[in-house]
Amino acid sequence: MLKVQSITKSYGKKLILNQISFSVQPGEIIGLVGENGAGKSTLLNILATLASPTNGNIVLYEKSYREKRKEVRKQIGYVPQDIAIWEEFSVEENMVFFEKLSWKRRSKQELQQLCLDMELDKWKEPVKTLSGGMKRKLNMAISLIHEPDLLLLDEPTVGIDLKSRKEIGNHLKNLAIKENKMIMYTSHDMDEISTLCDSIICIGEDPFYKNLLKEANKQIVTF
Amino acid sequence: MMSIIHTRLMHWKKHWISHLFWFLLPILATVCMIQITNVVQEDSKIPIGMVVKEDSELANSLLETMKSSPLLRVYELSESEARSQIESHELDSAFIIEDGYEAKILHGSRNRLITSYQSNLSFAYTPIREMLISYVQQDTGKVKAAHTITDLQERLQPEAMVSFDEIIAKTNEIQAQENLLATTFSSYNDEGVGMKNDISILNTWGLWAIFSILSTLLLTDWLIKERRPGLMPRFAFMRFTYKNYAIQNLGFYVIAFLLFDGLSIVVFKQLLSESIDFNLIGAIISFRILISTSAFLLALLFKNSYFYYSVSFILVLFLIILSGAILPIDGLTKRFPWLLDANPIQPFLDQTFWNPWLLVPLALVSIWIAKGEKLNA
Ligand SMILES: Nc1ncnc2c1ncn2[C@@H]1O[C@H](COP(=O)(O)OP(=O)(O)O)[C@@H](O)[C@H]1O
Ligand SMILES: [Mg+2]
Repeated sequence: MLKVQSITKSYGKKLILNQISFSVQPGEIIGLVGENGAGKSTLLNILATLASPTNGNIVLYEKSYREKRKEVRKQIGYVPQDIAIWEEFSVEENMVFFEKLSWKRRSKQELQQLCLDMELDKWKEPVKTLSGGMKRKLNMAISLIHEPDLLLLDEPTVGIDLKSRKEIGNHLKNLAIKENKMIMYTSHDMDEISTLCDSIICIGEDPFYKNLLKEANKQIVTF
Repeated sequence: MMSIIHTRLMHWKKHWISHLFWFLLPILATVCMIQITNVVQEDSKIPIGMVVKEDSELANSLLETMKSSPLLRVYELSESEARSQIESHELDSAFIIEDGYEAKILHGSRNRLITSYQSNLSFAYTPIREMLISYVQQDTGKVKAAHTITDLQERLQPEAMVSFDEIIAKTNEIQAQENLLATTFSSYNDEGVGMKNDISILNTWGLWAIFSILSTLLLTDWLIKERRPGLMPRFAFMRFTYKNYAIQNLGFYVIAFLLFDGLSIVVFKQLLSESIDFNLIGAIISFRILISTSAFLLALLFKNSYFYYSVSFILVLFLIILSGAILPIDGLTKRFPWLLDANPIQPFLDQTFWNPWLLVPLALVSIWIAKGEKLNA
């Protein structure tokens, strides 16, 4: 499980995250909401070890981020907000490319299955001919190659069609339920958040989100 | 390393034609430029005909002297052939060494030694005739001097006679030592040009060095194309850190470049009669490491590959002018001798393995590695 203890983050004098604490159990999906600039990406980056908190502790399965950063990283899957794939490669080549650099050896069948699981069935096609939704799926599949326990996604469904959005949502649900993964993701789509997430974390000052969340009938933590 | 090679080959497969082109560029461009300048040089020689009607030592040596002139292309033919080729303007002019040439020279007669043909288009006739006459005069002069000396000797001390032949041999010897024209030509022929008689203005390995720098710079653009903001965070969760990945790729590129460098050595030996030795191989290896790591460091400074290409081309132009690899810069280096030491390509042009400039990029790359990964890439 993931334990976040009193995380604070400031850039210079600007305090972005103030005393954030929560924990995530295996199989849980946590949604992260808040207005633009509230610090959602900052929090995800800290949880992904890509940035250090100014204060506070994080522990993933008994491993402290401070002391065992390298081992912690092997258990984390991070889906960047920018699509980070090779446009001139096919889906297959992208998967093989990142498998070569990954911690885990996976067979081609396993790689293809990862894509099929989220209904990305265009295996041989060059990525540049794919729709935005397909690219998002591939971007996510790559982050799952090394079978991480904690999956962190920064706006994985932004700007794509409804069908792909639903398929990605279903896949997240499956990953949580069937594979017992911990999932945290940010989105601006309240419907999506309230149907998928077990609990919601709201950061920032804007009362708009807090009011909106009251209707969602979920466990909500606000900071 | 195998995984890195595998991923690199996946990239190369997508652009194999352009990669092959840039890898081969130093070989192709150097061979083309050397061949073209040789052809141009060969074409600019003046074609003349020589008709030799007498098979004597002096006549043949005059023919050889004319043939060894770098300005002339000498065809040996019969008088009638010469005349018809002058009429058809295939030859600029023709010269006939008449029968009795040697005998006349030995007797000090200067009449009708050489007959010449020209046409209304023979633009080089006069200077060539002057050149030929000066050679003939050399021979007649020698003979005259020898006659004078033997005459004097006969009159003064007949017992210590030096023979006519000995005097001619001695003057030939002196001439060989002092004839400036002839020694310049022969020194070119001695200097490792080998089988070819052509004196190439261009230095094969100098040209190769410039084209290699260009192709290395352009092929190092992978570093810019792959250092995309979205891609960097991925490396945090992979088996290789980004710097590890980049350095191993650099190593693989150096190996691939060295294979093509080896091919250059073989091709230049076959086509351009360049010699191979250990100094050359050592110099190529250190030069390769120098330019590959330097290009790597330069590419690290850029985010936009088109800007990087522009800077690369400017850099190469600068090197063409200042490195002395293509254009001679003797004038500059005589006035500023430190230029030779400051020129990073000079050790390669001198074919020495040790290049002090190599330390600079190697040190910088080491510092870059030692600085470690940025947390938030
Ligand atoms: N590297 C940084 N240096 C300084 N300020 C930053 C940096 N990264 C983010 N910020 C600031 O932190 C705040 C939160 O940014 P971010 O986490 O990207 O917001 P969100 O993802 O919720 O829109 C913003 O005001 C942003 O300007
Ligand atoms: Mg954000």
